[in-house]
Amino acid sequence: MYDVVIIGAGPAGLSAAIACREWDLHVIVIDEFPKPGGRLLGQLHQEPSGEWWNGIEETKNLLDKAKEYNTEIQCGTSVHNVEKTSNGFSVHTNKGMFYGENLLIASGAAETAAPIPGWTLPGVMSIGAAQVMTNVHRVRVGKKGIVAGVNVLSAAIARELQIAGVELHSMALPAANSVTKNESDPKKVMDGLVRIAHLAPSPFLRFGSKFAKAAWVRDIAVKFYPKGGVKMWGMPIHIRKAIVSINGTEQVESVTICNVTPDGEPVPGSEKTVEVDFVCIAGGLYPLAELASVIGCPFQYIEELGGHIPVHNEQMETPVNGMFVAGNITGIESAKVARAQGKLAGLSIVKHRIKDLADINDKVHEALNEVKETREKASIQFHPGINEGREKVNKAFNDYQQTT
Amino acid sequence: MDKVIICRCEEVTLEDIKNTAEKHHCSAREVKLRKRAGMGYCGGRTCRPALDTVLQEVTGEVPGDDMPLKVQPPVRPVTLSVLGGQKQS
Amino acid sequence: MNNRILDHPVLGKLSDQTEIEFTFDGKTYKAYEGDTIASALLANGVRKLRVHEESKTPRGIYCNIGHCFECRVTVDEAAGVRACLTEVKAAMVIESGKAEPVPFDQSNPDDMPRTYAEFNEKAKGSKEDDSHV
Repeated sequence: MYDVVIIGAGPAGLSAAIACREWDLHVIVIDEFPKPGGRLLGQLHQEPSGEWWNGIEETKNLLDKAKEYNTEIQCGTSVHNVEKTSNGFSVHTNKGMFYGENLLIASGAAETAAPIPGWTLPGVMSIGAAQVMTNVHRVRVGKKGIVAGVNVLSAAIARELQIAGVELHSMALPAANSVTKNESDPKKVMDGLVRIAHLAPSPFLRFGSKFAKAAWVRDIAVKFYPKGGVKMWGMPIHIRKAIVSINGTEQVESVTICNVTPDGEPVPGSEKTVEVDFVCIAGGLYPLAELASVIGCPFQYIEELGGHIPVHNEQMETPVNGMFVAGNITGIESAKVARAQGKLAGLSIVKHRIKDLADINDKVHEALNEVKETREKASIQFHPGINEGREKVNKAFNDYQQTT
Repeated sequence: MDKVIICRCEEVTLEDIKNTAEKHHCSAREVKLRKRAGMGYCGGRTCRPALDTVLQEVTGEVPGDDMPLKVQPPVRPVTLSVLGGQKQS
Repeated sequence: MNNRILDHPVLGKLSDQTEIEFTFDGKTYKAYEGDTIASALLANGVRKLRVHEESKTPRGIYCNIGHCFECRVTVDEAAGVRACLTEVKAAMVIESGKAEPVPFDQSNPDDMPRTYAEFNEKAKGSKEDDSHV
């Protein structure tokens, strides 16, 4: 029986484990990927300060710290069920059962699909898949590709592919259908683009970002969006072109793109074929909360945080006694926030277990402030309403406590 | 355009899902039972948000605080030997 | 393995890799130790990992982190193994995912057999390589 079983060896899970080990709790971290690090492993971008955020290095720092505290980490372990028992949790995996008095679910996020005709062909992959292939496995995903979906995540990863020498034709919108309606709407996409404009050396976008809140400026920017796209790091970003279909028999051979109106309607007769051998689908991320659901944790639907969120308080505690959450399962934010949340969750578990220790309250408080500061300083915001979303979850937790 | 596949595992198209939802005015769960969308090998992890979006458009089923498609264990396909307690090498 | 990113301007050079060999659908390929089956095959230019069991449409990696199960292959006779999560080992025998027999034409639900006798009657007309019937 472990004191804590942690599901997910990403930035949240690892930093939580370190915090628990610092207080000498008996901990195991499990993850189904062959290497620890989660989505952090693949990240590589230059901060506005000029410094590089290197996910492999950041993971190594966490692993060194974990090793220093003799933390047990077991990869290649897939959890398929979790049960609450009278004295803790049973975690069912392909490598047998794990028992913990406490449970931390740090299972991260899954990618939201933006389905385009032909997207089941080999050579079509999620943008995150391309990131892992490029930076973790060091394999080129193809000779020349195109990105379907213009958002914070896809812009960052497109840049990573470029740095690795992988050629991208451009980034464009997925064609409009009932599923892709937000990702295919030039105005909504523009709203997202101006939030990352400070990262890009484009005067057009920087101009736009100053007026981000005025809808009329945005509408003009969409209407007069350059035909050749706005270039970020030399690569055209199109919000007035959409990928209508992905073509090929055994694998991707080309895509068909067309011009779209400011409302995202295709312009008839504007179709063009672009030869590519890979396509990255970028529909964004949603919290991967299936295990929290299986265990019976209550949920809240919070758009600002990316979807259905297990109810939890600021200290990452859920209404299920002894169960905690951290990282992207609590809402889509950066790896830095996830890491800070992990530490907070770890300390909260310590507090939960060792109630009468004077020191721990201060530590939890410090860690909570660290989460908030990290959030404020984030150079990439996935959603402008993060703070409102966080308040909603916290309120849900309090409401839940009062009614039960 | 509605010929696009939404559920990759079971190859269910947007048209299939829309028609079924319109005809029977049904929930995500009923669409899953009728057309197998979200019922395949991946357990709906890939198409779940897409299904929610389509159903919201067709039937006005707004995602409530409970997940529209209930998550059932096992959340990964497992062999009977693993379910029976054997460890994979 | 000509799809390798050997020299990366920020992550540095890929050096001191140990090469191993494995087979995929009977053909021998080289991989680096630590590769997943998916990364090793893509490094060799192999994109198609299986066909859809029923429609036979080609499939390859999609999410690359174990969520979508599109990359499932058969490894040393164990089926349903995710290529993206499984480290390739020397002499591993990997098979692509194959189509399964489809005993009934499901395009017309009214034609589906309702009794075992009807089933038998239908099965007589099915293809010989249909091992299910």
